[in-house]
Amino acid sequence: MLEAIDLCKSFGSLTVTNGVSFRLEKGERRAVLGPNGAGKTTLFNLLAGQLAPSSGEIRLDGKNVTSCSVEARARMGLARSYQKNNLFNGLTVGENLSLAAASALGYGGWLLRDSLGSKRVREVAEDVAAQVGLAGLLDAPVAQCPYGTRRQLEVGIALASRPKVLLMDEPASGAGPGMIEALHRLLKSLPRDLTILIIEHDMDLAFDIADRITVLNYGKAVFEGTPEETRKSPLVGEIYLGDWDSHA
Amino acid sequence: MFRQTPLKTLTFAAILAGLAAYTLTGGTFAKELVIDIAVLAILAISLDLIAGYGGMISLGHGAVSGAGAYAFAAATVLLGASPVAGLLGAILLAAAFGAAIGAVTARTRGIYFIMATMAFGQMAYVLVFDSKVLGGDDGLPGLPRLDLSGAGIDLQSPASFALFCLALLALTYVLAAALLRSGFGRTLCGIRENEDRMRALGVTVWRFKAAAFGFSGVFAGLSGALAAQHTMFVSPELLTWTVSGEVLVVVILGGLGTLTGPVAGAVFLVFLKHVSSGLTSYWHLIIGLSLILAVVSGGRGIYGGLEKYIESRLAHRSKSPVRPREGAVAAEVQADA
Repeated sequence: MLEAIDLCKSFGSLTVTNGVSFRLEKGERRAVLGPNGAGKTTLFNLLAGQLAPSSGEIRLDGKNVTSCSVEARARMGLARSYQKNNLFNGLTVGENLSLAAASALGYGGWLLRDSLGSKRVREVAEDVAAQVGLAGLLDAPVAQCPYGTRRQLEVGIALASRPKVLLMDEPASGAGPGMIEALHRLLKSLPRDLTILIIEHDMDLAFDIADRITVLNYGKAVFEGTPEETRKSPLVGEIYLGDWDSHA
Repeated sequence: MFRQTPLKTLTFAAILAGLAAYTLTGGTFAKELVIDIAVLAILAISLDLIAGYGGMISLGHGAVSGAGAYAFAAATVLLGASPVAGLLGAILLAAAFGAAIGAVTARTRGIYFIMATMAFGQMAYVLVFDSKVLGGDDGLPGLPRLDLSGAGIDLQSPASFALFCLALLALTYVLAAALLRSGFGRTLCGIRENEDRMRALGVTVWRFKAAAFGFSGVFAGLSGALAAQHTMFVSPELLTWTVSGEVLVVVILGGLGTLTGPVAGAVFLVFLKHVSSGLTSYWHLIIGLSLILAVVSGGRGIYGGLEKYIESRLAHRSKSPVRPREGAVAAEVQADA
């Protein structure tokens, strides 16, 4: 479904992504772990098209999308949520979700009809709002919403775009225990055919939802395995998990 | 996100009715003022479409309108086309020019975008200024007006022409509101709010920006063709960046991104010019002070400020506890007794 082949990205003499390769099958959930500065977000930016790789190849649904724009990849079913909220702050929660749904449904260019008034768009927006716990907040202006609500909306926008592959960059970043638990339930409830690649620092969350885990260190993929194999890996324990045994 | 609220509709209808009444009851000068207001308001709506709802502050809009004026002049005077064909040509050329500006400048932002649009405007100005075919700095005189005599309307009459311009202003407003309520308009607002996120949702942003400029050019071209018919003369002055600046002032004075505000701004600016220029030769200072006042008082402009005030009053009223009328209380006391 999504494949990275020997992906490299350098900024001057600094190599941030160094020969990363992996392959996500349809419906697979994979977590990307690694210490700060390991190149996780850069990898996401390469996969989503926000950055062009220095070398290597990205394939989406079998097609080489390495030179495709962000919007072209999005139209092929690749969506992402951001580590820092990237919302339509001047609009309401419902309008945020509806814009995403209308764009995905191809209603964004309608000249004679209101895309946000469309029954289909409203249905998607309401369904996603219920899914991410924002059902009662559709009319709330985003600018007046608390941080936790905005994090939920960040994920909601990505889901409303009806993706085939979802890249989630630290969805639980800055969230309290209640929201992390809700996010956990949400991720478990998503359709099994949705492919997910997630960066997450919350280990319980990452290990529970992921089928496989890739560990990055200094831009290199140094380990790949199941959550159980990751727990047992001395290499991973050394570079990232440190006191995982005591944590577990 | 655009909403055609009752306040917007009522305010626009009141302005239109007031201008129509002023046309019918006032003298020749009143009719000239109304024509100026209608032509400026159409251009201001055109600019509000891209600046207020698309976040693209253009300083090349005078040139787009001027291109429409020159297209009308060239078609009717040089090519001998009918005024109707000239009007259609003006609208098409301005739309194409607008779309071209939008397509080229769409990838720039902020001050670079403003400078790029201004450069387009100045290039158009120089092109026209140096063109012998288009009359150079002398311009082109002897332009005809549309012939609506078949419908019993004589557009040579100032009153009829003023009412005709008001009718086209109303049409412009309705079409712009419809566009802003459409899927296209919603996407445009999304781009204004967060261009990068719209791109991540699969929207090819530059195409929407170019198309928005094109639609805006339709109205700017209409405004230019009406200006040309009004004076029956075109000159390169129509394309200068100061025209674009004046329209931007109108939009800001009235209320950026409110659709009705730019119409109110056009009324305000034209009347202010008329009144203040009769009082002092330093009337530009009064307009400058008005703009500063509009910007420092929240930047909402005349209509935007009114809208905000009414919204806050309504919100305050809905939060206030309901006080029963005295009579009702007395009746309840009596019933209890």
